[in-house]
Amino acid sequence: MLQEFTDWLSHSELTAFLSDTTLLQTWIIIPLSQTIHILGVAVVMISIGVLNLRLLGVGSGSQSFARLTAQLTPWIWSALAVLLFTGVLQTIAEPSRELLNSTFQLKMLLLLAAVAITISYRVTTAKNPNYWDTSLDRRRTGRLLAATSLMLWLGILSAGRLIAYFGAFES
Amino acid sequence: MSMIDFLTWLDATSLAESIRDSVWLFPVFETIHVAAIVLVIGSIARLDLRLAGLIGRDRPVTEISTEMLPWTWASFAIATVFGLLLFVSKPMVYLEMAFFDVKMILILLAGLNMFAFQHMTFKSVGRWDSSPLPPVAVRLAGGLSLAFWISVVICGRFIGFV
Repeated sequence: MLQEFTDWLSHSELTAFLSDTTLLQTWIIIPLSQTIHILGVAVVMISIGVLNLRLLGVGSGSQSFARLTAQLTPWIWSALAVLLFTGVLQTIAEPSRELLNSTFQLKMLLLLAAVAITISYRVTTAKNPNYWDTSLDRRRTGRLLAATSLMLWLGILSAGRLIAYFGAFES
Repeated sequence: MSMIDFLTWLDATSLAESIRDSVWLFPVFETIHVAAIVLVIGSIARLDLRLAGLIGRDRPVTEISTEMLPWTWASFAIATVFGLLLFVSKPMVYLEMAFFDVKMILILLAGLNMFAFQHMTFKSVGRWDSSPLPPVAVRLAGGLSLAFWISVVICGRFIGFV
């Protein structure tokens, strides 16, 4: 099914337009989209970094984890929306390079897990601002989640960069 | 020894050769370079936007700068080291890229802006540390910094694209 969708997309007019290297605009649209994508990654990474390090007990001492979560998650969601838009644009330009690439597929899988953890931060602290501080067990779980989240986002970033080098679909 | 001589020598070193010959080294170095740059931009943008009075207006500037600048410096050091390794692998290629020159100049400008801010504007921080909207000179420094760094990313991306 993924193969069929990729084939269909590859033959769409949008792909034809975005991958037409004889047109000047495609030489501008794609790198510009990639630049915005990187800036979006910057917003997500610093927000995720601050948030998870706070849960690990490192830095931002003056702000509670709940307050940081309330402040930073809107930034994370907005940046992710920008990342989705620019990412979709880049995928349309080169469907099989992305969709059929195993590094890309891994990236999407890691992204799902990372987003789930971020949602869990928001839901739990909205219910109880001290949620991750109420018992030793919770504190341990929080730290484990934070470490996992950091690793996942680093994995997502790395996979994103490495799509260009590894995992290409060969037919 | 001219610049070209030096780069020709660099190009022939065993370090350059091993990076070129390896399937993994260049992509891995590039990934670390990008991860570090992303953190430079993210951390400096958080401070710049506070200087511009656009975010975190209820928190003192110095609190955000103490929190963010260690990230900025550490990441910048990592980005530089791995950027140099990328450069070493094909110095002649980068030498011919206008985007590479522009990127280096922009980093220099960002540094000068930061230096001027630190040694002039920042001296009066006591007066505007907690003000939601800092004075024009401060906001300008924040805006310039943001503009320079975003332009650095644009050039960096185009270097990879050409």
